[in-house]
Amino acid sequence: MKKNLLQELKCLLLVALVLSSGCKNNTTSSGNPKKIAIVVSTLNNPWFVFLAESAAAKAKAFGYDAKIFDSQNNTSLESDHFDNIAVAGFDAILFNPTDADGSVANVLKAKTAGIPVFCMDREINSTTAATSQILSDSYSGAVAVGKYFTQQLNKKGTYVELLGLVGDNNTWARSKGFHSVTDNYPELKMVAQQSADFDRNKALEVMESLLQAHPDIDAVFCGNDGMAMGAYQALVSAGKEKKIKVFGFDGSEDVITSISENKVTATGMQFPKTMAETAAQFADEYIKGKRDFPQKIPVAVELVTSKNINDYTAYGKK
Amino acid sequence: MNKYLKYILLLSVIFLAGYKSVYLKKLSTMKDPVNEKFDAVVFTKKLWVKKLPAKLEAAVELSTLMEMVKANPGEAFSKYSNALGIGNYRYSLVKTEGSVTAINPDDITLQIKSGDSALNVMLATEYIYGNAIRDASALVDIKDFTNNMDLNNISEEMNKKVRYEILPFFKRNVKKGDHVNVTGAIELNAAHIKFNGIEIIPVSLKITQ
Repeated sequence: MKKNLLQELKCLLLVALVLSSGCKNNTTSSGNPKKIAIVVSTLNNPWFVFLAESAAAKAKAFGYDAKIFDSQNNTSLESDHFDNIAVAGFDAILFNPTDADGSVANVLKAKTAGIPVFCMDREINSTTAATSQILSDSYSGAVAVGKYFTQQLNKKGTYVELLGLVGDNNTWARSKGFHSVTDNYPELKMVAQQSADFDRNKALEVMESLLQAHPDIDAVFCGNDGMAMGAYQALVSAGKEKKIKVFGFDGSEDVITSISENKVTATGMQFPKTMAETAAQFADEYIKGKRDFPQKIPVAVELVTSKNINDYTAYGKK
Repeated sequence: MNKYLKYILLLSVIFLAGYKSVYLKKLSTMKDPVNEKFDAVVFTKKLWVKKLPAKLEAAVELSTLMEMVKANPGEAFSKYSNALGIGNYRYSLVKTEGSVTAINPDDITLQIKSGDSALNVMLATEYIYGNAIRDASALVDIKDFTNNMDLNNISEEMNKKVRYEILPFFKRNVKKGDHVNVTGAIELNAAHIKFNGIEIIPVSLKITQ
């Protein structure tokens, strides 16, 4: 009798162990896969599509259900996504924010609901809301672009700068990194600085208007590759594409091709796949019990020019 | 008598229970650390004076690193390189010596021995930027920082030290044909390793001939 009781207890203990270990893995107690949400600022830009799809693919490879949410660069829509994610019982969020300040409230909402958030590429202005932020080292990447820019212009000349979204920290990290080099050379003068919201069409319009006011510039630095392509299009229309050098930032397909054809001078190559996969891996580790993550991890940005273009392909290395 | 004994015991209990349960500190020493502004100048100066010399002393010979990278890149990078972030860029503190073969506007060409042959390395004298010194020195732990701009500012301050304290004297005095001993930081792309023409950001320079 005692022996039977002992065996029953052993069985119960075993079942409890299996159940508890199941809860710590990537399936729910009912055996369904746990869920990871990927909330991305916009799917209207191939770079962010690649980021979102890489994150979803990695989450699925870890055995999770993954769903992508498009915020359409709208913080209110992003907020709705976070509400729906909490209600639907997602276990983690891989997040590319729309706004460094505006997105903090959404991350805090998830935190209150007990859902960890891992930021990808863009940061939020809080060091306590997200579990971890995996970010392109935009500042250092722009320092490298700024150094090459100064070398290409022989430390003198005039240029314009196209900024990204003014509410995004990457916009300013890139601009500050770039200027931390170029501003040391007094004969290198920026004659205009204007935002084109990281948007190719807007960059085309802004560049057309800047060329009216400053037809004799030597170069244009753009905060992303979309704007670099818009600016290049404006230069082609004005017949100035051979005289004015274009510098971008991202490592998008268009610009990598353009560098190999000597149309664009250089870009800072970001690695969206590395960021997305690291975020998915962190989420997996969190779900399995790990809690000690660095708040911010920079991901190196590499300078791509005509000299090393053969080492690279769009969004990463060959 | 018992009454007094009771009071003494009671006071002893209160004293023992209360001892060290209350601390008095000046309000000025209790600032919120989150709101405290990080001072990159002070932080870098302290590292530069107190900790960097030992790291420079322990820098690997460039030729040793090159041989090890060729033989076993994984072990070489793990033993002799560092990087705060994720990616292909790795940074090492190296020392080497050689002859000045060219003085260019932005750098100096140094010919060093590499096995039985000669190898050209470039000593940067104009463009002192980036994270090479900060990361190669391995003196900064990313977990101590929540703001990436603080990390960028450390790099800037280290680079300023080289630009304004190390290079002016060297640039004024170096001549073609001089023998130079250098300890400095290099950046290697682990996915595409190239040593010929590699740039050294100098931290310590000595003209010996």
